Amino acid sequence: MRLIDLLSRGMIVTIQLFVLTLILAIPLGLIISFGRRSKSRIINGIAGIYISIMRGTPLMLQLVVVYFGPYYIFGGKIDRFAAAVIAFALNYAAYFAEIYRGGIESIPKGQYEAGEVLGFTKIQVFFKIVLPQVVKRILPAISNEVITLVKDTALVTTIGVAEMFRAAQSEASRVASIEPLFVAGVFYYIMNLIVAQLFALAEKKLNYYR
Amino acid sequence: MKMIKATNICKSFDGEEVLSGISFEVNKGEVVAIIGPSGSGKSTLLRCINLLEKIDSGDIIVEDEIMVATNGAGKAIYAEKKELRKIRLKLGLVFQNFNLFPHFNVMKNITEAPKNVTRVSKEEASKIAEELLVKMGLEDKANAFPCQLSGGQCQRVAIARALALNPDVLFFDEPTSALDPELTIEVMKVIRKLAEEHMTMVVVTHEMGFAREVADRVIFMDNGVIVEEGAPEDIFTNPSNERTKQFIKGFNA
Repeated sequence: MRLIDLLSRGMIVTIQLFVLTLILAIPLGLIISFGRRSKSRIINGIAGIYISIMRGTPLMLQLVVVYFGPYYIFGGKIDRFAAAVIAFALNYAAYFAEIYRGGIESIPKGQYEAGEVLGFTKIQVFFKIVLPQVVKRILPAISNEVITLVKDTALVTTIGVAEMFRAAQSEASRVASIEPLFVAGVFYYIMNLIVAQLFALAEKKLNYYR
Repeated sequence: MKMIKATNICKSFDGEEVLSGISFEVNKGEVVAIIGPSGSGKSTLLRCINLLEKIDSGDIIVEDEIMVATNGAGKAIYAEKKELRKIRLKLGLVFQNFNLFPHFNVMKNITEAPKNVTRVSKEEASKIAEELLVKMGLEDKANAFPCQLSGGQCQRVAIARALALNPDVLFFDEPTSALDPELTIEVMKVIRKLAEEHMTMVVVTHEMGFAREVADRVIFMDNGVIVEEGAPEDIFTNPSNERTKQFIKGFNA
């Protein structure tokens, strides 16, 4: 019971990290995907380099950089949890951006043209006509990322955030058994079952048109 | 009254000239059919007038308003954005492959632009849409989604969607080219009905029978120029140009 209690308390932090990351990464990814589609070569280039670095280096390293970086630059310290949220949001936004871009580019040109001749502004065309169709198309790819995010939250033990995996680790060394880690695995699995279910539900809901 | 006056329109894509000095006019209440072989520039012409492509040089005047005019240096200068938005609402365009919004039902496809562009009230927009659906013979399809409709029904919804903004001129870009012969007839019927109501229309089409019966005037285009234009009877039975003769003969054979 002590184990369940410990893990549950850790899970609250895990869920907080998970939710905050999504809240930040989902809109940030959209902005980066706009950058990637920009006609300006400079903006396009910056977005490209950003995505390349975020996808090309270990998330664990990014965590360390965000957490310890400010100390070396300003000599100030940053909260562990805040550092974790920032690093995760920056990293996942890069993946989301590429998924959005793929979705946006898959919408036929005729949809933009139809909106344009009906007098919609570019912003209206994007938010009323294009984006809702993009959401439907990218949902499977996004669900992959979100499921990965649930598991990736365990990485924040690197910078000492007291979440579920860390709780399991310290309990494992206290009782000298790997059982707590297995139980944590079950916790992650259940969280992901729920996430997968929610996405299946959303996909079903968007199935009203083809 | 002149609805459209286009003068000397030139348009190139990557150095290849698609429109080489097109001039034509459309009068109020007139139905103009534009015919010609594939690649002759018919669709591009329609797209230019509907601001989906920008012309390189030439003038386009819609009613009394200048959409684009060419300056002394031969460069096409477009009106300001605000002005273009105003002009755009005088024009409606129906596409070959409908381009309905798949995530909206029929009703919303029709009402979305009036509600958000011309700021008509929700009730008013719905009323207009219902009337148009009756006119299109689709009053039972208001809640259907485009994927549940036949091609002919989709095209009629697209026509209703364009009409909901009450344009002064309605353009059709090969409205039946994506349809079976059977479905072509139902769409043609609707266009014919609009013609009877003296809707000003410009129709790019491969349906020679339709052009002959419904149009007041036929324009034959080839290689980016207007080869010949005139009354349907003259164009179809007694074309003066050799190229037109060949084209018409090809259809009759």
